[in-house]
Amino acid sequence: MAFNARITMPAEAKAGEIVEIRVLVRHPMDRGGQVDSEGRVVPRKILNRLTVTYAGEPVFRYDMHTGVSANPFVSFTTRAVETGDLSFEWREDGGATFTRTARLVVT
Amino acid sequence: MSSPISPACARPETALSRREVMAAGAAGLALVALPAPARAAAPPALAELVARITEGAVPERGKISFDIPQLVENGNSVDVAIQVESPMTDADHVRWIHVIAEKNPFPDVARFHLSPRSGRADIRATLRLATSQKVVAIAALSGGGYVMADADIVVTLSACIDGG
Repeated sequence: MAFNARITMPAEAKAGEIVEIRVLVRHPMDRGGQVDSEGRVVPRKILNRLTVTYAGEPVFRYDMHTGVSANPFVSFTTRAVETGDLSFEWREDGGATFTRTARLVVT
Repeated sequence: MSSPISPACARPETALSRREVMAAGAAGLALVALPAPARAAAPPALAELVARITEGAVPERGKISFDIPQLVENGNSVDVAIQVESPMTDADHVRWIHVIAEKNPFPDVARFHLSPRSGRADIRATLRLATSQKVVAIAALSGGGYVMADADIVVTLSACIDGG
């Protein structure tokens, strides 16, 4: 299944302003141990970490365990300091990573 | 067909058998004897879980608001909002916020790492709850202290039903 992330944030902000960033990802977050319709046990496979950097500096990290819902949503804030890319990187069990970027223009 | 409750969500069996209860009752000890063996195999208590996170420090209450519905119909996705009163400066900020659900199979649910660049300690997320329980949010402050808030939540449909 294609990785699908929806990042909602303002495209531009004034310097010093606090912007809210909302991130919704499509992911089953299989916590492991469930039995599917054919009687097989589903192994654990979740996104275990979301790291956000802003113009290269880390600004937020979300450590996820099995208690995070499927299609996890998270909202956080950051202070607009300079025009730059916010880069989002998810790490999945098994080592796969997914990245997305969003640009914030600071006026 | 498998049981609707998946094994991963099952708690270690702590209930006494009827025979044990009858035996204890016969000895006039039913009320006294019940909690002890039940506790022996029980999962770590909330206080222990909190102490492990804070490395033994006792978190203060207040300065943190933990917004979670009192009643949810479906434990598969529970909206939570956490705010900590903090200026979020280099000298005084929230380092991280940790969420514990004591009766989940894995009580550590999530951790949010913040920094002075966050501007505000204001987080929202969606969690999964196995059953009705007390959920705790603990924030680690840059000064070395911890603050916590807890909330009791009733879950009508557990996140442990298959297909969730």
